[in-house]
Amino acid sequence: MNSDDVLGNRALRHFDVCVIGSGAGGGTAAYALCKGGKNVLVLECGHNPWPGLDGDELPLPNHSNDELKYAVRTWLDPLAMLEPRTFRSSASIDAAINPDVNLLPRAVGGAFQHADAKTPRFNILDFQLKSTLEALIGRTPGLAIPGFGTDAASANFADWPLSYDELEPYYRHAEALLGVQGTDDDPFASPRSTPRPMPPGVPMYLGLLLSEGARQVSLQGSTLSPHTYPAAINSRFYDGRPPCVDCGWCSGFGCPNNAKGSPAVTGLRRALRSGRCQLRYNAKVVQLLNDGGHVSAVSYVDGEGQQKLATADAFVLAASPIESARLCLLSPTPAGGALGDSSGQVGRNLMFHLQANVNGFIPQRIHGQRGRAVSHGISDFRGVEPGGAAPRLFDANGSKAVYLGGITEFGGSQGLPITDDGFVMAFQLPSGVGARFGTRLKNAMRDGALSQHLISTIMQSEDAPQLTNRVDLDPTVRDIFGLPVARVTYAAHAYELHARNFYLPYLTQVVTNAGAQGVFVAPCDTLQLPPLVVSAPNSRHEMGTLRMGPDPATSVTDPQGRFHDVDNLYACDGSVFPTSSGYNPTLTIVALALKIAQGIAGNRPLEEGPPARP
Amino acid sequence: MRNLKLPKVRRDVPGPGATENGDASRPPVQPPERSLTAALPLHLLRAARLTRRQFLFASGAVAALASATRPSVVRAFSLFREERFFTDAEFATLEALVDRILPPDRDPGGKELGVAVYIERLLTTFDCGGVGLYRRGPYSGRTPYPDYQLGTPSSRFPENGFLRSIRASRLQELYWRAQLYGSEAAGIPPELDTSQGGPLVGLRDLYQQGLAEVDAVATSTAGQPYALLSVADQDVVLAQLDSPGVLPLDPRRGKTFLDIVIQHVLEGSFSAPEYGGNRNAQGWQMLGIEGDNQPLGYSIFSFELGTYRERPDHPMSTPNPDELAPDGSVVPIPLTPDGASIQQGITQETRLLSLIFPGACN
Repeated sequence: MNSDDVLGNRALRHFDVCVIGSGAGGGTAAYALCKGGKNVLVLECGHNPWPGLDGDELPLPNHSNDELKYAVRTWLDPLAMLEPRTFRSSASIDAAINPDVNLLPRAVGGAFQHADAKTPRFNILDFQLKSTLEALIGRTPGLAIPGFGTDAASANFADWPLSYDELEPYYRHAEALLGVQGTDDDPFASPRSTPRPMPPGVPMYLGLLLSEGARQVSLQGSTLSPHTYPAAINSRFYDGRPPCVDCGWCSGFGCPNNAKGSPAVTGLRRALRSGRCQLRYNAKVVQLLNDGGHVSAVSYVDGEGQQKLATADAFVLAASPIESARLCLLSPTPAGGALGDSSGQVGRNLMFHLQANVNGFIPQRIHGQRGRAVSHGISDFRGVEPGGAAPRLFDANGSKAVYLGGITEFGGSQGLPITDDGFVMAFQLPSGVGARFGTRLKNAMRDGALSQHLISTIMQSEDAPQLTNRVDLDPTVRDIFGLPVARVTYAAHAYELHARNFYLPYLTQVVTNAGAQGVFVAPCDTLQLPPLVVSAPNSRHEMGTLRMGPDPATSVTDPQGRFHDVDNLYACDGSVFPTSSGYNPTLTIVALALKIAQGIAGNRPLEEGPPARP
Repeated sequence: MRNLKLPKVRRDVPGPGATENGDASRPPVQPPERSLTAALPLHLLRAARLTRRQFLFASGAVAALASATRPSVVRAFSLFREERFFTDAEFATLEALVDRILPPDRDPGGKELGVAVYIERLLTTFDCGGVGLYRRGPYSGRTPYPDYQLGTPSSRFPENGFLRSIRASRLQELYWRAQLYGSEAAGIPPELDTSQGGPLVGLRDLYQQGLAEVDAVATSTAGQPYALLSVADQDVVLAQLDSPGVLPLDPRRGKTFLDIVIQHVLEGSFSAPEYGGNRNAQGWQMLGIEGDNQPLGYSIFSFELGTYRERPDHPMSTPNPDELAPDGSVVPIPLTPDGASIQQGITQETRLLSLIFPGACN
């Protein structure tokens, strides 16, 4: 092993738990496991943007305001040329290599460092969605919901094996750990036991424009309620990290001054400082060695290309839903099956959020390069009653209907000349519309025709779980390690398409009322018009594949996150989600990781209040 | 949100196909051998020649790897050409071409912005130990630290961390070697190439072939190599190069040589100056943006006030000062007809798409 690819306690030899992945799931699990007295080995396939992360002083990272490094040369992203994935929209057609299903970044601290760190909670309804909707259908004549009732076989909804109330203390701890800003201005959010640690930061101009637009829209008799968007971004000095300076390089970029509560600088750093944790990065796990019911070691390839083994008493998968499921499928059991797959459910119920996207052009410059990418949004399109415990019943042509969409982000272009303007104008637009070169290109660049004028709203619509939406191993394509790549099979369900169609006119009104001209709806995420357009879902919100539930026949992991059929293997990322809700998933991943890891460590209580400084 | 979703209609569907042969008068360019890539489980790099200079750089890289702190590598920051890849004639053709893709007017064009230097620096990155692909940061020193007491800019500036580079990981290096030298020369397993439509041709070869083709088209159209033509004739040839079928499509990238140069003009004009282009940040100045702005940013928390202050010249929550009338109303600065027509075109195109394919957009 290259000794430079290690952080934490290098002297540790025996590990109680080996965690695969160092992001929101794995980094948090390492934190809670170390707190619970376990010695932990973390294996991370990506590189390390924080040299000295285990040192006495929190180091400034190698992150910077650099469009070339992130948006063009994709420093944080997997290299699709070396580690491709394939995609198909149905099992009846051949899958093809598709870079859109390779989106989650890979580095110490995981993908969250690369997001604009939005951290809403799920609400009460989300944890008992199936039983609540079934009861509602039972007592509401004429109510039909795609994927429920007589249509139940088309989807695979399930209640979570825990309630909002059970997760609430972990949400509270997660918000304190990451350092979340926000206030109680979202009427549809479920009750919370304490305020968020910090108030909202400075509003963005485009967020205010869209909020004003939203206040003029009525959704079946109620006016929309724009709210500040909760985010794991400091608005004060907090946890030894400075307040955000609203540099604008937020979504798609790492944070140069550590104001963003990346798992690396919050939970993971605490684990590395505890003396109980060793992290090896550039360490790509390729197989879990097992006897069918027990994992003995993991095999990984280190930063020099050498194959290594790591042993531990227990193992935690936190490599993201697609990779966590792929690792099970890459690990044969002596009986010839895949690890943890006695139910045949591994890789199934893969969910994203269906993103409904309405855009428009504001005549004046919106300077999206100043801010946190998103400062405001609305939750009205989640389609729940205030408090988030019950679905809202809408009137639809004389009968009743339920439309569970999702939280909606108020954003726009981030003022990035190369990728917001240049590449779009020169390459993405049809000839005659775009600008290939010359004075036309230069004038349009100086106008910032897109980068300074395009506002954009995105609804993160709940995605129905389906058995047929899944990850398996591609039969022909192999990656640079010689291993079969993940094949994603995915098609949208009527559940989310109906919600999208219902809310799009209201979303269009929001954008129009904000003062936009030329308002347009982006084509659906999952648009299939082969051979011109084969569109994989390009949401980075990956969920499902290792569903958590009480029944070993219909779920992969038990309510404690342990595999039903492997006695020392756990999953601790978005893969265990039974349903996808309509809110950004990271805070729930962190809260659940705290709970699962606390269970692995013997249920020692996590401290209350803000965590101690590392 | 980095999520602008426009109709993603492919200009051309890439497929397997033959690639053009390189210039026969030039020896094939091979990458220097590196132990990093030799350790890959499936294959070995082809043996390759090392120049003395490359050997010295490689030795330095090994020494750097051996040290415990693994320092990032400083590469001299210069506005001018360093490692040479292009001949003088090729460089002249390239400078002329980038200067018509982004032409000079009241603001500098591609040539003055240093785009050709940016491109040559990318193509020679492994002649300098493979540094320079990713600049380190976190700050460039173009803005000062904030004064958190007052909520104003301080007079202290950080050092320029963009002068340092982040060493590429093994996979990143392999990826960039394939991009620059071709997938076969980089040692990509043939199965991986086959699954993606055949070998990837390196950018170094593409540039040599492409610049020769540009001069060939210029000579056959206007009688002289591209750099010697009048600006008007250069524009005629440029339009011709952009016509379908004139330049071959690179099968793996789905792009012509001209597409690749346009991409690099945009990168070289508007990326951080430390990458070799955007000379003196004039690319950002012509757009009215600051580029990288940490550690100052646009809002500064003030202990004295207990809240944030915005920068009056770069406001965050209010319109830009140059679009605000004295009475507080917003007076937008009109776009040029070029920018306005792009906005209109996007709107119409999307509406057309929804008409042709109902359900695509609603």
